[in-house]
Amino acid sequence: MTTLLSQLLDETVGDTSDVPFALLDEYSKREIRRAILTAVAVPGYQVPFGSREMPVARGWGSGGLQVTLGVVGPLDTIKVIDQGDDQGVNAVNLRRLIVSSTGIPETTVAAESTIVQTRHRIPEDGLDTEHILVLQVPVPEPLRGVERDMRELARMHAEADYSKMWVSLYEDKVRNGVITQSTGYPCLVNNRYVIATTPIPRWDIPKLDNAPFLSLFGAGREKRIYAVPPHTKVEPLTFDDVPFEVEQTSGATCFRCTSSSSFLVEIPGAVSRWVCSDTDWCERHEGGLK
Amino acid sequence: MGYAAARGGLDAIEAAEQLVRLKRMASPSAWVDRDQIVGRLRLAVDRVMGEGGVWDEDLAAVAIRQSEGDLIEAVHLLRSFRSTLPRFAYGTDVDADELRVIRRIVPAFRNPPGPQLLGRTSDYTSRLLELTDESLAREEAEKLQTQLWADQLDEDAPSAASQEHQQPRRLLETLRDMNLMVDRRRTDDPDPFDITRSPARPPAPRSARLSSMARAETGALVNQWYRNILGPDGYLHEVTLGEVRHGYLPVRVSHPITGNPVHVGDVRVTEVEAIEDLNGIDEDRDRFDVGYGLCFGHNEKKAIAMANLDIACHRDGGQTQVEQSLLLTTDGLDSSGFLEHLKLPHYVTFRSMMERKMAVRNAKQKSASDDKGTSK
Repeated sequence: MTTLLSQLLDETVGDTSDVPFALLDEYSKREIRRAILTAVAVPGYQVPFGSREMPVARGWGSGGLQVTLGVVGPLDTIKVIDQGDDQGVNAVNLRRLIVSSTGIPETTVAAESTIVQTRHRIPEDGLDTEHILVLQVPVPEPLRGVERDMRELARMHAEADYSKMWVSLYEDKVRNGVITQSTGYPCLVNNRYVIATTPIPRWDIPKLDNAPFLSLFGAGREKRIYAVPPHTKVEPLTFDDVPFEVEQTSGATCFRCTSSSSFLVEIPGAVSRWVCSDTDWCERHEGGLK
Repeated sequence: MGYAAARGGLDAIEAAEQLVRLKRMASPSAWVDRDQIVGRLRLAVDRVMGEGGVWDEDLAAVAIRQSEGDLIEAVHLLRSFRSTLPRFAYGTDVDADELRVIRRIVPAFRNPPGPQLLGRTSDYTSRLLELTDESLAREEAEKLQTQLWADQLDEDAPSAASQEHQQPRRLLETLRDMNLMVDRRRTDDPDPFDITRSPARPPAPRSARLSSMARAETGALVNQWYRNILGPDGYLHEVTLGEVRHGYLPVRVSHPITGNPVHVGDVRVTEVEAIEDLNGIDEDRDRFDVGYGLCFGHNEKKAIAMANLDIACHRDGGQTQVEQSLLLTTDGLDSSGFLEHLKLPHYVTFRSMMERKMAVRNAKQKSASDDKGTSK
């Protein structure tokens, strides 16, 4: 037995036939699924779960990975992105782990997938009722910036007491002229719980609102799972007279596909250029969708 | 193009893996067997088993070898391996009084009840780097090996010592007899909190704090202790150690058919009892209290820090966030994993931050020009 186990540990590239389907033992997967069901039943509520130690480090998508491995079945097709990029190193690593432990096919096209695991982006298009979006969450607690004590945080969520958050947004606006929260913008889900929107850019927030797909948020290190079920209201916290703003740079277009209607990231230089962060969308656009 | 530089892809990952593997596997030095690591890097193995929450010297050795001696990495390998295994059974309760000691010291008294058994420790050994000639050292090692097994000098070998010597009465018992201890023993015997199955958050039962600390990264726990001594926190008060023990505890499981407890092996643990001088205004000033520490293997600094933090947390009674610190900031995988995640690409978040910087700048300019307009 020991020989077998140590071989497993020692052979990073080798036979994985002794590892269970989707890596985790069945009890762990059941636990994750139960947490997911609770999360779907109570949109935005952070459900505690046991969170196993994964072959990827804490903070490197271990929560998203557990959610994906908890829901994946043999008929699924997986897409994994990091910052919108299917070829980002960590996306490649996670996809490799999911595919090698399940044998399911992979794709870069959101519409062809059934599960999209993502770090910090929502694909520009292609997600519909048949999709599950799994978001990797580094910090699931939206109120940590205004309160450190976990006992108090629990009370604030339980009583929907988000006054400190509102005050912080107000002070931000008064001091800086704008609300400076960049990514992970706090949103009220289903008129009840405030969630941390991973850190996806504000650009992606409207895609969560009343979305046709199921969004599952997995925070491995902090051992929390939460969800935005399909057709659920997701409202960024802002004031009646301060419109919510997404990232926009006037005149910027993707230097590859010329898009100005996607989330663009900057390539700094004497004259900066811009490029789509969603690489798959960009390639399809370039290929004739434009 | 600059764009490609931000993307790694499978080739780069595989190449990096090959570089790691190549140096590790193809080093011109002799292959390190697992039994060499178990036999010669004993304390590293103990530490990895303790922080990994797995009692298996052989697996810990494999992990240490694979991680090239990065012990937090070794703990990670062991813990993620554990995640693939189903949990079939729980051990039955073991009374810590069953500990068969191979070392036991009681700093609180010169002549405590039971032995002061120094055992195996380098506490009083001069820390001199042994620059012995390699071949002489080998010769000595071989000679000692033969002698050890011939004379049964091994501390782990069955001992002829008396029951009292092997399982000495605790100092705590004596202090209780003298009515010097606050009695916090409870009679309801609740199941311990299982930190591997439920996340512990404050307020948590004591068993959650103890098991979090038992699996904590040794350095993190030592630092928690020390920052309370010399750093900004100051929640704790230096204790007097009542027991420092190193020895064997039996592990038993219920037989699946008969239900009888079956002895399935032993684990080696370090156990510490920390006697606390209650000096708070509202505390029982004519009695002491006690903090408890127990961890896998021989790791006294961890068990001592744990015992002192246990009583500090109890005395704090939820007034500060010391419990949150213990439960949430001492796990080596959590802290180092999250720290290292900063190496991942962050260009989406950074782009969003840049955009907000520009928005603040524009708002400032607008407000400045508005002011100008008003003053005219």
